[in-house]
Amino acid sequence: MTNIRISNLVKKYGESNAVNNVDIDIKNSELFILLGPSGCGKTTTLLCIAGLIKPEEGEIWFDEQIVTSAEKNYYERPQDRNVAMVFQDYAIYPHMTVFKNIAFPLEIKNMDKKEIEKLVHSTAKSLGIEELLDRKPKQLSGGQRQRVALARAIVREPNAFLMDEPLSNLDAKLRIFARAELKKLHRRLGITTIYVTHDQIEAMSLGDRIAILNKGEIEQIDKPQTIFDLPKNLFVAGFIGSPPMNLIDGSVKEENGTVYFTTKKINYKVPSEFSIVKELKGKEIVLGIRPEDIKLSKNESDNSIKATIEIIELTGREFEVHLKVEEERIIALIRNIENFKINDVVNLIFDEEKLHFFNKETGENTYYESRK
Amino acid sequence: MILPLWSGIMSALKTQADLAQTLPFAPPTTLVFDGFIASYNELIGPLFNSILFTSIATILSCLLGSICGFVVAKLKFRGSNTVFLLLTIGIFLPYQSIIIPLFITIRNLGIYDSLWVMVLVHTIYGIPMTTLLFRSYYESIPESLFKAAKVDGAGIMTIYQRIILPLSPLPFVVAGVFQFTSIWNDYLFALTLTNINFEPASFALSNIAGSTETAWNNVMAGSFLYSLPVIIIFVLLGKYLMQGLMAGAVKG
Ligand SMILES: Nc1ncnc2c1ncn2[C@@H]1O[C@H](COP(=O)(O)OP(=O)(O)OP(=O)(O)O)[C@@H](O)[C@H]1O
Ligand SMILES: [Mg+2]
Repeated sequence: MTNIRISNLVKKYGESNAVNNVDIDIKNSELFILLGPSGCGKTTTLLCIAGLIKPEEGEIWFDEQIVTSAEKNYYERPQDRNVAMVFQDYAIYPHMTVFKNIAFPLEIKNMDKKEIEKLVHSTAKSLGIEELLDRKPKQLSGGQRQRVALARAIVREPNAFLMDEPLSNLDAKLRIFARAELKKLHRRLGITTIYVTHDQIEAMSLGDRIAILNKGEIEQIDKPQTIFDLPKNLFVAGFIGSPPMNLIDGSVKEENGTVYFTTKKINYKVPSEFSIVKELKGKEIVLGIRPEDIKLSKNESDNSIKATIEIIELTGREFEVHLKVEEERIIALIRNIENFKINDVVNLIFDEEKLHFFNKETGENTYYESRK
Repeated sequence: MILPLWSGIMSALKTQADLAQTLPFAPPTTLVFDGFIASYNELIGPLFNSILFTSIATILSCLLGSICGFVVAKLKFRGSNTVFLLLTIGIFLPYQSIIIPLFITIRNLGIYDSLWVMVLVHTIYGIPMTTLLFRSYYESIPESLFKAAKVDGAGIMTIYQRIILPLSPLPFVVAGVFQFTSIWNDYLFALTLTNINFEPASFALSNIAGSTETAWNNVMAGSFLYSLPVIIIFVLLGKYLMQGLMAGAVKG
């Protein structure tokens, strides 16, 4: 049960920064998610926290104790930090049986043999790998190895868990099950957990809070729902959601006291609660709307936009409708397509409460601060 | 390959007279073990000496090579590249070039003509080679294994004992066989650093050949006895040696 504070962390590899100016304050017992595309610095951040690599700048604190300080050239050794880590490539000891692998951190602590036996068995059982205890890693599948790595981490009661994509190799069904198990485990133990993933759904369903990383920098730290409902900037808006938010480039125009969002073809009346976008007059702005917040209609209405249906795809329960407004491509997710077919001209109605306006230059969501 | 070996064994089983009259690879007309008995009597002491120092020096140089290889491969410290360079030079330095100063040093240390001089010299001379061999093997072990062990609470010593050593049987076989054969076959150190008190087999064998009249049956029998340990090693460890030479990365 540890609060982990990271301030101004910078890790360079050659000229480029793998992690750049990262500030995170992870609360006691929190399940904190690092989410971002491949190569954005997730693993590097974890390795810094574990003490396995030394950052060029910044500090890391476990509660009131400093464990890493580039400025003071102080780095507490990884073996003294008492964190447990699940590695992206599992890092299972190839010469030891599954049992020995899980028991390894306990044996290092000179724990009583009987106690070790008990803990290893109960941990293995909770992950469904009890029958594998006598096997060597070579005889395991990828998913089984991953669970061994997970077991080796959770068999201890560390200050914190650092998990680097621990479920990425499980099949869909097992993954959902393991996710739930992890969540339960986290509730039961209450150990601070930093969990790396590039799977948004995993992040959304598991995390207390999520940090979105991009090119080594933090784009947003918020609760899952906030990340989804109120993306801080264009990167997050385009990254979160599947299919992601529609982002339409345009500008602001004011006519007779009414504010419009305009592109070559679209002339969309901006709802009154978004009227401060008029301060961005003359600048390029981006309108964002999620596919699920668009309705299709045969009938034209007050603020609707005409579009042509290009493709209709069934994705599970919903239909993904690809639409064209001049050169603009828009995707809508709808339940029922009985009335529509390809090449129909339809009217799009945006849910006015779910609109987003971004400053194209800075990428910022104009309403992030005020609506938060 | 086979013919000299065959002729050698045939010659060893012949009498002196028989040797002079028949072709080297023809079988003996009368089978005698005189050659073996004579050379056995002369070589048994030196063979025992050789087995002793070769074994000890092989084990020591492999063990130290493994430790050094681990240090060079996994603990990046300041100057580790320099160490690496020095080791490489150490391998290519012909030992003829250092034999005189070495001889003087050994004299001064007072260990001339003893078990310990052979153990010491061969161990030290073997370390560069074994270090490089172990190093390249350890480099292929995934970094995350060491990281995992550290996070699990293991210090450097524990990592070496519980992760590195158990993963090393193959390089140990490769380095061991290599070291054993080259130490066993060494003649120059044996010639310069020992005398009658602690006579290695390679040196003793040349003495059989070097007496006034060369008894070829004795020499051939001696040669056979001399190569026996190396042959045994290859027979016993050949399988693992092949595995070791072809071994790829350790998979996690
Ligand atoms: N040892 C290294 N040497 C040089 N560059 C490195 C090293 N490790 C990581 N990098 C670089 O740093 C950046 C961040 O890497 P990192 O492994 O943290 O990404 P990640 O977010 O974990 O990605 P993934 O989702 O693919 O695991 C990448 O551009 C990577 O190429
Ligand atoms: Mg990674």
